[in-house]
Amino acid sequence: MLNDITFGQYFETSSIIHKLDARIKMILLILQIVFIFLANNLISLSVAFGFVLLIILLSKVPLRMYLKNLKAILPIILFTAIINLFYGNEGRELFSFWKITVTSGGVINSIFLTARIVLLIIISSVLTYTTTPNDLTDAIERLLSPLRFLGLKNAVHTLAMMMTIALRFIPTLVEETQKIMNAQKARGVDFENGKLKERINALIPILIPLLISSVRRAYELAEAMECRCYNGAEGRKRMKQFKIRYYDILSALISVVFCLGIIFVNFVTG
Amino acid sequence: MAPILEVKNLTHTYDASTPFRFDAVNDVSFSVEEGEIVGIIGHTGSGKSTLVQHLNGLLKPTSGNILFNGKDIWENPKAIKNIRANIGLVFQYPEYQLFEETVYKDIAFGPQNMGLLGEDLKTRVTETCQLLDIDFDYLEKSPFDLSGGEKRRVAIAGVMAMRPEVIIFDEPIAGLDPMGRKNVIKMIENYRNSFNATVLIISHNMEDMAQIADRLIVMNKGKLAKFDTTENVFSDAKFLSDIGLGVPAVTKIIDLLKSKGFNIEENILTIDDAVEALVKLKNGGNTYA
Repeated sequence: MLNDITFGQYFETSSIIHKLDARIKMILLILQIVFIFLANNLISLSVAFGFVLLIILLSKVPLRMYLKNLKAILPIILFTAIINLFYGNEGRELFSFWKITVTSGGVINSIFLTARIVLLIIISSVLTYTTTPNDLTDAIERLLSPLRFLGLKNAVHTLAMMMTIALRFIPTLVEETQKIMNAQKARGVDFENGKLKERINALIPILIPLLISSVRRAYELAEAMECRCYNGAEGRKRMKQFKIRYYDILSALISVVFCLGIIFVNFVTG
Repeated sequence: MAPILEVKNLTHTYDASTPFRFDAVNDVSFSVEEGEIVGIIGHTGSGKSTLVQHLNGLLKPTSGNILFNGKDIWENPKAIKNIRANIGLVFQYPEYQLFEETVYKDIAFGPQNMGLLGEDLKTRVTETCQLLDIDFDYLEKSPFDLSGGEKRRVAIAGVMAMRPEVIIFDEPIAGLDPMGRKNVIKMIENYRNSFNATVLIISHNMEDMAQIADRLIVMNKGKLAKFDTTENVFSDAKFLSDIGLGVPAVTKIIDLLKSKGFNIEENILTIDDAVEALVKLKNGGNTYA
């Protein structure tokens, strides 16, 4: 049951997207999301769609992996699509029912919004599929590093370190949970059967030992870090250096061309 | 009489449909008689823990069967809870499964899950504590205030309070001091003697195995490499060291003496045996060849 939890989403292939600098990828992701939402007609939306398709192909991550992510939030997509049907009163009236009127403008609105959400999810999955969780937290730390001018240097470092540790300990905790579950099952706890209240009660013998061992682990880790002279961001360097290479610049350029393309199409057809 | 526990051609494959496919337990068969203490030895990763988790139905075999009193434990999957009450399993570091506010409640947890209530439950807990020499003063304490060795004893008592006919221990003495080890071994022997229970123990401590186990199962790379009396298994030191295991230190010393020509006939497994043999040797005059 716990084996289904995918931790992070990193999917190893040897694509050019994997090699890109994580910081560049994050900035480009934000840029692309903004422009996907700026695309306001069929042609510019197709351009966005084509661009996202290109990135999918370049990432060499199988299409079904992206579809899996989409499927996970299908209810949200459907819900948004249906709600949006009733908004907007432009265009021809298609049908009306009680106080609700659906217009052609509403339908188009809904299709556009759905398409944008789908693109948004796919392009965000590209980032998580092609970047290891550690690179992601490193990139966040570096992107936030200008905050040091506000005297927040240690805060940024602490935040990033917390994220790294949290990610690192997910598999450990999953394993621990499994062990404790087995031990309590051996003492006759039944997780699969029984009324809702009984099942919720059955979680207590798992959660308490898990909580206690997490606290214990946290103390141990903190002590081990202090023994190795960890004292926050002060004087700390990295083993892994990020370097901007030609393909980082190239990808940034291509993304800018894409954004200009959206603006151009919007302008021409708008 | 039929064996109480019988394992037939048990195989367990992890990640069967992936490239990480791995047979943790491979075609293992053995049977255990009522009242026996059987040790399971094998180096890390040899499949011992996977094997014992099958015996009370925590894992389902990929193929093969487990018979308890002649009946397949998976015959009725809904009744697996009853199997778990009759075949107790004490995990490695069982003190990490303690969770109740008081020691009393924690020991009562297992029997309660089996449906014991009121006075019955109370007698069960006090009886268990009496038998296992757990101080009644402890019962109202929080289990988290106890020392490591005490926590371990309370956690083991929690499984013993279910009165399983077969009780399995996964490294019950790992990480304990000599006093704690002695106490836990005493608990196991007490329980066995009081209820004629069958005991299976996984351990890396050959001295303790030599002292307590009637027979030994030797696991190697997921297969059952040997299943024989403790004496016979430890008499083949070469076989054991070939698969990364050893014999008790005292056996090694006596073997060295034997190879130097001292006339000791018995297979020596415990310090007491060794003392006896050496005294006999001394009193028997000069047998130095």
